[in-house]
Parts: sequence; C-alpha cells; structure tokens
Amino acid sequence: MEKTRSKTNEKKLGFWKWAIASVIFRLILIYFPQNLNLSSRPEVSTPVTSLRRLAEGYWLKQLSMSPYAGSMYHGSPLLLSVLGPLTAIKIEGQPNHLLCSLVSVIADFICALLIRATGRILQTARGLNLKFLGLDTMLEDIEIMPSGDIAALVYLWNPFTIFTCVGFNTSPVENLFVVLSLYGASAGIVPLAAFGWVIASHLSLYPVVLVIPVILLLGYCPDTPPRKLFLQRDLQKTGAEGSTKNHVQHRPLTNKPTEATFFWWRVILFFMWASIWIAYVLILCAISVKEYGGLPEMFKRTYGFILTVKDLSPNIGVLWYFFAEVFDFFRNFFLIVFHVNILFMILPLAIRLNHRPCFLAFVYLAISSMLKSYPSVGDSALYLGLMALFVNELAEMQFSFFLFCGYVGVSLLSPVMHNLWIWRGTGNANFYYATAMVYACFQIILVVESVNAMLNHDRKIRKLCTTTEG
Amino acid sequence: MDSSFKSTTLISIFLLFFCNAIPSIAFGSSSTATTMHTNNWAVLVCTSRFWFNYRHMANTLSLYRTVKRLGIPDERIILMLADDMACNARNKYPAQVFNNENHRLNLYGDNVEVDYRGYEVTVENFLRVLTGRHETAVPRSKRLLSDEGSHILLYMTGHGGDEFLKFQDSEELQSHDLADAVKQMKEKRRFKELLIMVDTCQASTLFSQLQSPGVLAIGSSMKGENSYSHHLDSDVGVSVVDRFTFYTLAFFERLNMYDNASLSSLFNSYNSNLLMSTAYYRTDLYGRLLEEVPVTNFFGSVMETIHTDSPYRAFSVKYSKSKAEISLDQSDEVEQRRLKISDVPQELIDSNITDKHATCPVTRIWNAILGRIEMMKELDSLVNYGLILMFLIVTGSSWFSS
Repeated sequence: MEKTRSKTNEKKLGFWKWAIASVIFRLILIYFPQNLNLSSRPEVSTPVTSLRRLAEGYWLKQLSMSPYAGSMYHGSPLLLSVLGPLTAIKIEGQPNHLLCSLVSVIADFICALLIRATGRILQTARGLNLKFLGLDTMLEDIEIMPSGDIAALVYLWNPFTIFTCVGFNTSPVENLFVVLSLYGASAGIVPLAAFGWVIASHLSLYPVVLVIPVILLLGYCPDTPPRKLFLQRDLQKTGAEGSTKNHVQHRPLTNKPTEATFFWWRVILFFMWASIWIAYVLILCAISVKEYGGLPEMFKRTYGFILTVKDLSPNIGVLWYFFAEVFDFFRNFFLIVFHVNILFMILPLAIRLNHRPCFLAFVYLAISSMLKSYPSVGDSALYLGLMALFVNELAEMQFSFFLFCGYVGVSLLSPVMHNLWIWRGTGNANFYYATAMVYACFQIILVVESVNAMLNHDRKIRKLCTTTEG
Repeated sequence: MDSSFKSTTLISIFLLFFCNAIPSIAFGSSSTATTMHTNNWAVLVCTSRFWFNYRHMANTLSLYRTVKRLGIPDERIILMLADDMACNARNKYPAQVFNNENHRLNLYGDNVEVDYRGYEVTVENFLRVLTGRHETAVPRSKRLLSDEGSHILLYMTGHGGDEFLKFQDSEELQSHDLADAVKQMKEKRRFKELLIMVDTCQASTLFSQLQSPGVLAIGSSMKGENSYSHHLDSDVGVSVVDRFTFYTLAFFERLNMYDNASLSSLFNSYNSNLLMSTAYYRTDLYGRLLEEVPVTNFFGSVMETIHTDSPYRAFSVKYSKSKAEISLDQSDEVEQRRLKISDVPQELIDSNITDKHATCPVTRIWNAILGRIEMMKELDSLVNYGLILMFLIVTGSSWFSS
C-alpha cells in the first residue's frame, strides 16, 4: 500500500510538471507563423467548429445582419457573443486571434483538470467497491495506475488535442462542457451536471445522448462492478456470518447502501435544473436572434444544418462522400439511417453497461464522433482522453498495439491523400474517402474491443468473487 | 320598358366610361410627376440585311458610339444589328465600319457589344424586348430591364413605309404593333419618358398610332417623303450614312457629357433643305417643354452622385427600422415608397403579433417583455449580462451542492 502511495505521489508531481509543459508547448505552437496552417485543414476545423466562420458570423452581426446569413456560421449565438469580440481584437505584434487561442489553451487545461478529478472519483469508488467485495487483495497484487492523472496527461499530450487547440476551433470549448457534465455527474453536483449537459448539447447536438450516462451516474454511483455481485456478497455475508457487525463495519467505508438503490430524487433534481438551464439558454438565444428570424431560424441554421448535412466539403467522416453520390430522392432516407445508427446503439449499450456509466459515456462519445455529420480530430481527442480513465480495466484489451499503429497510420496518410486529391490532382475523392473509412473501421474496432475488455474485466471480478466465497 | 331600357343603356355607358377613366386616372396619378428619373436606357435597332444596306448599320453604330460616349454603359444599351457588315465578305476593310468617306472614325473598334445579331433581330424579339415578355432562358444582357424611373431612347433605322417598318426583308413592324407595345410598357411602368427616333422612309407614320403619355417621337420624313442617304463612299462601295442620322451626329459631335443643350435645339437643327425631307416630331403626348429637356436626358447618362463622408452607412439600417438613413435629396419619395414596399412583410409580422395581443395573456406578457427589451437598445449587452449571470448561478449552485 505504501509502495503504491508513494508511486501515486510521484506520479502526482509528475502530473503538474507535464501539464505545465504541455501548456507551454501549446503557447509555443501558437506563436508559430499562421499557426502552421492548421485552421485550414479539414481534419481540424469543420463547418460547425471553425473559428474563422465564427469571426465571419460576428462581423455580420456587427453589421446588423443575421449571423447565419451566407451559410457561414452554424453555431450558437451565445458562443458568438462570447468568442466573437475576441476574434475581432488584434494586438500589435502578436499573432492573429491570440486571445481565442489562449481561450482554447485554458479550456484544454481546465478540461484536463476535470478529467483528472473525475478519474480520482472513479478510482476511490473503484477502491471502495473492491474492498466491499472483499477483493482487497486485488488492490495490492496488481499495480494500480492513477487513472485520473494518466487520462489528463493523455488528453493534454495527445497530438489530436494539440492540433485542435492550436488550429482555431471551438472544439476545446465543446469538449470542456462535455467533461464538465461528466465531472458534475460523478461528483454528484447536480446543477453543474445539468449545466454542462445543456450547454454541450446546445453547442453541438450530439452530446444530447449523454443524458443517459449522466442520469445513471447521478442515480447510481460512479462505475461499479455488476450490482448483483453486491447483492450476492450481501446475502453471502449475512448468510455466513449472520451478524450485522460486518455491515456496520462496512457501512462507513462505503457511501452507498448495500442494496442497489436508484437515487430518484437526484435524477428529478437533475431534470429540474436541466429544464431551468434549457429555458435560460433558449431565452438568451431568443433575445440574441430576435431580429434575424427568431428561434426557428436559429434551430434551422444550427441543428438543422447539422442534421441535414448541407455542406459536403470533405472531412474525416463518412457522410460527405455518401451524400455527394446519392440521389436526392433517397437523401432523407440515408440521413435518417446515419443518425438512427447512433440512436440504435443507445438502448442496448445502456442495458448492458448500466453499472458503468462513465464507460458508457465514453462509448457513446466514440460512436457519435464516428457517425456525426462533421467529425474532427477534436472529437477523437475527447474520447481517447476519456478512454485513458479506464486504463486499469482495459489493461488487457486486445489489438491495442494494432489500434495504436492504425491511428498513427491513418493520421499520417489522411492528409497525404487529401493533398493528392485537392492540391496535386493526382488522386481523387476515393483515395481520401478510403482513409476516412479505414479511420471509421479503427474506431469501430476500438469501441468493440474496449467494451469487450470491460466486460471481461467484470467477468474476472465475478470469478474472483465466487472463488473467494468458495 | 323603353325608358327603362334607355336608362340601363345610359347607365352601362357611364359605367364603361368610368372603367376607361379609372385606368387613365391611374395613369395620371402615376404620371411622370411623382417618379424620379433614375436611369437611361437605349434600344438601337437596325432592321436591314444585305451589303447595300451598309448605311443602316453605320447609322446604328454611330448612334451607339454617341450614346456610349455620352455616358450610357453597355448594360443599359440593347443593340440589335440585323446583319454583320464589319465581317462581311464584301467589306474591303474587314472589322471596320465607317460612317464617313474620310474614314476618320472606325465605328466597330474595340468595345462593341451587340445584343441581338443577325437573324435574332425579328419583330417578335423586338416586341419582346420592349414589353419584357421573355422566356426564362433569355439572359439579362438581352433584356430591357428598365423601371418606372427610366428614360428610354428607341432608335430604329432601316427601310420603312406608310405605317410600317421592314425587318430583315421578310417581315414588318406596323405602327399599331409599336403603339401597342408602348402602351404595354406604360402599363407595366417600364419607362418614365420615351424618345422614339426613326430614320426610314415615311418615318413619322410609324408613330402615328401612339397614345401613351410621356412619349416623344421624331421621324426623319413625313408621309409620302423618302429619307435619303448622305453620301456614297467610293472606296467601300456603298452609301455609308443617312442624312438624318448624319446631321444628328453632327449635332452630337460638338457635345460632351456635361453640356446641357436642349432637345429643342436638336430638333431645330434639322434643316429640311439639307435633309431633303421634313423631320417631323410629335410632342402632344410629351408633357414637358422641349427647351427645358437636356439631350443628355435621353442620349447620355449623367448620374447624380451623393458624397458621403463615412463608409458603410448603408449597413446601419436595421431590419426593424423602416426608415433608411441614406439621405438623398430628391429621391425621398421614391426611396420611401420602395422601402415601404420592402417593409410590408415586417409590418405584417408586427400586425400578426398585435393580433395575438388580444388572445393569450402569456403572449401578451411576452410581448410586453419584448417591447421593454426593444427599448433597451443594447441587446448584446443584455445577452452578455445574461451569460455572466448564468455562470454565477452555476458556480453558486455547484458550490452549495458539493
């Protein structure tokens, strides 16, 4: 125990060193000329996250025109009010949009801290659960890694995150709110969770599916082994020892009762806060766009744009090529197919993984970032960071090296194919779409294998439980 | 019975009179007094084909050159040439068209934009240009896109006769057709004033059927008279210009864009001895005195420019405001009328809101809030305050909950 504690202490000092180093690295990259042209790359900036489009929308608003005119800006009017003035300020001798880049860096840093805090909560919950199940030996045998620190460092030093941060995006802000909602839910701070969820789904539509993991986090507690193990343990304990002494002993250690109860009151409180935030945000948006067509126009231009995929410029997703080729008659059908694909996954995964809501959130984010209409590397950065929260459980994941090489390969090949197609003219759209499909395949393998590994981990715990009993 | 029948016929006759009177009253109310002259258009038509009608081409091109020199841009000139003399196989000077035997001026130099050429110059296309009834595929450069503030110069030359003008040696434009087209143009408010200039034989019969107000017409000869060519160019081999057009050009060559020679000086410059015909003009439909009308009202294009100091003033107009802040001295009426037309949707929306005013108390409260918010000019600062308040609530509530 002391060894692990000292190890965690070491890792803790290491964390701050590495975190500040990553911030300095980002600041250095910002001062490179023209930000290495990252903002013009399709992998980094999409029609819904590009800061250049936000600057255009802000300029249109300053001229008393609708910020959505000309189909450039497709984001939230509140983001326009916050980030818009920052894009307009130019400081002498500093690179353009310095303030926006600083906002991205700060958002990344806060996101990393929140991931770390979430990881800590998960780790203490995990320790308590295993102790309650009598698997204390597992804690000592296997080296437990501080998943929070590792996840935060993975998030900060992931090249995808760095590109997104330096590349003039609003993705860092969106990722921040997603992680904020997850942190609030795992820490039990209901208004924060509701706020994060509402803002995240307001900024980009897809985090709305995270309502289910957030409710499960608030209702039950953060990730536990399957709950029937607790029931078995409980029964087994009362059966074998027949005294309440152990219960009393165990109860102060665990924060939850022995039955798997669902905290309905927290969920109701969550819905109440969520409706308050939704009303607040909608009122602010309505005031903001009152003169330009009101809320229906805003919905049409933001969520309607995301759902109907009007802009078919190439990106690392799978929708653009499809819709460039398909007949107009079938367009709606295929739109429904692609989006329902995300929705279909929600229920089965929720049923199977309802005892691990954080992991469920990671799986939802991975699936939605694969099938969303305008994906970018910022989405991958988010779910890769969240995946690192589960290093202890996913330590025995199959194909991990293959996936790592695959990700590296695709992220190197995809810009090459894009260059061949667009700039040199020696390739065509099929080259680039092939890399997009390969990327989607790798993401699928990642999701499948990680779920597999998590379920194997649960089976292992159950086997250990039954063996220790018997 | 008889008396009742008589009374009904009298009543029906009165009604017919009123029905005829109302449109003319409408004409009168929408007469030239209320709209402002905003742009000039020129429709220059040469209707003759074949090499020996070189002079008609030269007439039209000379007038095209004059009109362009005095300021009308190509976008507002419709040039219809029925044949190509410049690249004709019999032209000794390829790609060059002269209107004088001294060959001083090449009318077909650079920058000639012919809109209707060759066999496209038909009576049907000509009437379509005038009335604006085109098929959807016709490009904008071939349309007469005039509006109620336009002065149009319509110049036609070719072979004509008593109440007709010959097109392409195969069809005719009759004076009734022209009068009908002009009447349609007036109905559709496609011009404010129209000057018709015809250089053919018996030219003034062509506009004898005109009845629309605001039309001024001049022809090179009267009924029974021929219009003659001016001189023969022995080098090119054909007559290169007609007399009427030659003396018109002689008048205009002395002018530049800023001269304000009047139409009466132009019309009085025609000497019937030199023309060998009587240049007859018709002013009964035209309300103004010819001494007060400068020739650049039709033959040139002098745009009034308004100097503003600050840029982007146009962008300070908000959708909700119905008054433009652009100040034009004379065009207030027209601008306001145009703005009011464009503001009708806004007013409809407002009236919808006020209609709901009576129905639901919630919407009434909402409208009251909106009204109060509108009085706060700075909506943006309101949104900013709202955002700051939101963050404060978040931090406060999460502090209390944790």
